[in-house]
Amino acid sequence: MGLPRPLEGVRVVDFTWVRAGPWAARWLGAFGAEVIKVEWPQNMDMLRQNRFTVPEGVEPGPNSTGQFADTNANKRGITVNVRTPRGLELVKELISVSDVVIENFSSRIMENWGLGYDELRKLRPDVVYVSMAGFGHVGRHHHYGTMGPAAQALSGLTFLSGLPGEPPAGWGWSYLDDTGGMYGAMCALTALYHRRTTGKGQHVDLSQMITGITLTGPALLDRTANGRKARREGYPPGNRSVWPGAPLVNNYRGPTVAPHNSYRTKGGGYNDWCVITCASDREWQDLVNVMGSPAWAADPKLDVLEGRIRHQEEMDRGIEAWTKNLDKYELMELCQGAGVRAMPVQSSEDRVEHDEQLRHRGMYTQMPHPMLGPWKFQNAPFKMSKTPPIVSSPPPMIGQHNREVLEDLLGVSHEEVLSGHEDGVLWPKGMPTFPYIEEALE
Amino acid sequence: MTADRLEAPGPLSGLRVLELADEKGQFCGKLMGDLGADVVKIEPPGGERTRRVGPFLDDVPHPERSLSFWHYNTSKRSITLNLETGPGSAFFQRLAAKSDIVLETFPAGYLESLGLGYEQLSGLNPGLIMCSLTPFGQTGPWRDYQTSDLLHLAAGGQMASSGYDPEDVPDAPPIAPGGGNAWHIGAHYAYMGILSALYHRAMCGEGQYIDASIHEACALTTEGAIAIYLASGTVVRRHTGRHADPGQSTRIQLATQGGGWVNVTRSGSNITPARLAALVQWMDEYGLADDLKDEKYRDPQVLQDNAFHVTDVLTNFFASLPQDEVYHGGQERDFPWGAIRSMDEILDDGHLEDRGFYVEVEHPELGRKFIYPGAAAIYNGSPWKISRRPPLIGEHSQEILCGELGLSLNELTILAESGVI
Repeated sequence: MGLPRPLEGVRVVDFTWVRAGPWAARWLGAFGAEVIKVEWPQNMDMLRQNRFTVPEGVEPGPNSTGQFADTNANKRGITVNVRTPRGLELVKELISVSDVVIENFSSRIMENWGLGYDELRKLRPDVVYVSMAGFGHVGRHHHYGTMGPAAQALSGLTFLSGLPGEPPAGWGWSYLDDTGGMYGAMCALTALYHRRTTGKGQHVDLSQMITGITLTGPALLDRTANGRKARREGYPPGNRSVWPGAPLVNNYRGPTVAPHNSYRTKGGGYNDWCVITCASDREWQDLVNVMGSPAWAADPKLDVLEGRIRHQEEMDRGIEAWTKNLDKYELMELCQGAGVRAMPVQSSEDRVEHDEQLRHRGMYTQMPHPMLGPWKFQNAPFKMSKTPPIVSSPPPMIGQHNREVLEDLLGVSHEEVLSGHEDGVLWPKGMPTFPYIEEALE
Repeated sequence: MTADRLEAPGPLSGLRVLELADEKGQFCGKLMGDLGADVVKIEPPGGERTRRVGPFLDDVPHPERSLSFWHYNTSKRSITLNLETGPGSAFFQRLAAKSDIVLETFPAGYLESLGLGYEQLSGLNPGLIMCSLTPFGQTGPWRDYQTSDLLHLAAGGQMASSGYDPEDVPDAPPIAPGGGNAWHIGAHYAYMGILSALYHRAMCGEGQYIDASIHEACALTTEGAIAIYLASGTVVRRHTGRHADPGQSTRIQLATQGGGWVNVTRSGSNITPARLAALVQWMDEYGLADDLKDEKYRDPQVLQDNAFHVTDVLTNFFASLPQDEVYHGGQERDFPWGAIRSMDEILDDGHLEDRGFYVEVEHPELGRKFIYPGAAAIYNGSPWKISRRPPLIGEHSQEILCGELGLSLNELTILAESGVI
């Protein structure tokens, strides 16, 4: 590569697991930080056990899941039992030569291990400590646990999604693991920058659930400043900006416009859908022209926004009668060529195989993975002219870097590393290891 | 929060950001402003168009009353400049020459066409970090496509994962979650890129250009959907209020008494015999434990094999309790469950109060104070804070153009009359 990496020389002790925390540390690695993931096989990271992402023909095991792979790229990994005195000592030695400690455990785990901020600071006075607990470390419910979906529910995000009069549709993935992870990385970068300019470290106390609340700003202000009830007729408005017949209020997805909806496209398959929005009367006329000016659309009552909102059902039926004869990408090109806002609903397969923009921008990097073979890793969604983030290495196999980290970085003797794999400090007593660990120890 | 901590400067204090951003980038500017950066919003004369987005205070439409604009523009100052005029362009260049960051969301190539692209600006200020945050980035076949929040959530894959089980809503479309999250997703990644560039600059002094794409950011924000496709060749199916996945899964969004809902993450598969015992005791207090007291459920395999049945019994139990009782009762028994709260229920959460989450912001020109959402994270060594309410249109033109660039009030008047500011 040869290009400089912005976080070159920054070492991160990564105690995170599942999704949000590991996703945060992954990005620090993409910027060039040396990330060392600390694990314990008897309390295995859930993503190492993800049943949906072991490719056919690959032997299942902790090193065989695609979801763990993408979430933990750019890291090395060690196994240490922090509940043994020697294990704790080793972890403390590691922290004393590191810059960032990041974790997403429940709020008191680190303290109970003897690794609370006050202790971390003794080991490394300017340490940046980012905790990513569900409710944070402060506050009466700090001990409450969350996974992404529960955090979304509690933050108000789930309630924002769905059709009126139906149960919430919510988010079909852990949005707050992806985005909670982003915030973990943002907090670490921000505190690192602050340390760079002032010499001071700090504890940043992030809450996954509260992260979600900060993403509901206009809805929240509508409640606090206007007193408008969130539980109201026509809300949430599905894919529309306002539901037909419901009170004409803004529903927090930009300006109130119509059309603003999803429509079926040719093929009728599960993801054969497109979306179209018209931000102005002019854009509506452009859409009418693209549709070939059918008689129903030429009706003057639809010329102005107010009429299109009032006659939304009829208008949307007319639009769908047109869209369902077009392939979703053909429709996109036709509309966009005429300045009409339209895009296909894209599945995962669509994004990987059919999205020409993502292909052009190099969204996926293929890299060899010891168990998965050649595997596509997701790249950063931005290009940087001087210090581009890169996917630099596949994820660690469990315990893969025990020897090199402990011996080369911490100066632990080879004899102790060997015995640590027998006495329960570096590997659970009696648990079979893996050939790559045996080889490394030879 | 202690007063001392609030008085300390934020982690980004000392940085000057020039923000030329509409709905796509205003949140990124807020993230930097609330953490202490001096964010100067450069608006077109008459004000940025995001001021015309509702809801409005007391439902009275006015560019100074947009609650959406308010939320996304705290801690910023505002000047107005018409960049398409010679003087407007010149003032912008003078400001850029001594700023740290330029954040812009114009169509690809627009600033360059005005002679204000990165090449030109970095000539004036080699340490400048410039981030263009646009729908598809600066290159590629879709570069000039028009978008909206809904369009991004379609193309990015959010909709393909969100929606309903057919038993709940037959023929339901894929659903785009609300709240403008395509812009949030883009802003988070842009922030991350900018901060990494700042760190690099602090080490070696050089600035750089960041070409950020909202489409790529969204495409990157569907958790395991891509890995599932790569591993199995299958695409996920949408389910009501829970993860999309390739197969069947137990429900985790369950109704409570009085029209409420709770999210009981992985209600079947992660209930161990020990945890089930705690639940059964609770259910038994209401006589609703069904057969779950049976000893056979002490076998984890039996429990796993009967996940759907366990969910049915829980479903029945929850339907008889208020939403909050299920939520807190579950949490006190070590289940990471959550009530599906609307804004109506979030306001009086004591935990948020303990963390000093809600912030009262004074709008002196209105003689009123309003409650804004606060920070996701407490920065214990350098506080997040809303340093000022969102700016009025061009509120700081005088202090910046006269105070910093040395214009006289008479010159400012001429600029106003000629449409430059």
